[in-house]
Amino acid sequence: MASDAARDDREALAGAEVRRAVIAVVAGWAVPGLGHVVLGRFRRGLIFAAIILICFSLGLLHDGRLSLRDREQPFLSTLQVVANAGVGIPDVLARWSVYDELAYALPRDAAYPEHEARSTILRHRARSSLSLYGTAYLWTAGLMNLLLLFDVWDLGLKRRD
Amino acid sequence: MRSHLLSLLVYATLVSAYFGILVRRKPVEQFRLASIIWAAMVGGAVILAFLMYPFPR
Repeated sequence: MASDAARDDREALAGAEVRRAVIAVVAGWAVPGLGHVVLGRFRRGLIFAAIILICFSLGLLHDGRLSLRDREQPFLSTLQVVANAGVGIPDVLARWSVYDELAYALPRDAAYPEHEARSTILRHRARSSLSLYGTAYLWTAGLMNLLLLFDVWDLGLKRRD
Repeated sequence: MRSHLLSLLVYATLVSAYFGILVRRKPVEQFRLASIIWAAMVGGAVILAFLMYPFPR
């Protein structure tokens, strides 16, 4: 009887930990560093937020490509979009600012006016001599944030200190 | 930031700081790992640049 109660307590505790970890991971994806803040690691969260957001800002300042999924190169372009989107809400805001809409792909048909408009913006940014550096900064920011989510998950489940 | 070297230094600093803090827990160990990664990135890029020097585009 007592062991059943203890097991129920342990399961409830584990369920609460998983919920907390999932919330922290979602928060950490949306805003870099917020996952750590949710788990009470303020200093760590702020340092990671600073590193990732500086990297992302440098990417935008260097005319980095905010990649779009292209049917001509579906695999590579999808990886690029994932790397960009890894940084969460800042990527959403940047896309709105650059494309004037939340664009993640080129339309299927090249005859669509959106196809020409998005391609032109992408080509214009890629023409900049700094674009290569900017793209590296943007992708690195997104991938660093995605990698950080594993740390948040482990911390949420108390697998590491 | 039009200087390639400055871009390299800033990039290496951000990435090495990130991995140092992510992987290690104690500040001294974090600094040591970040320094090693930074030196490897900057040193590697400089060595690669010298190796490529005889083969311009």
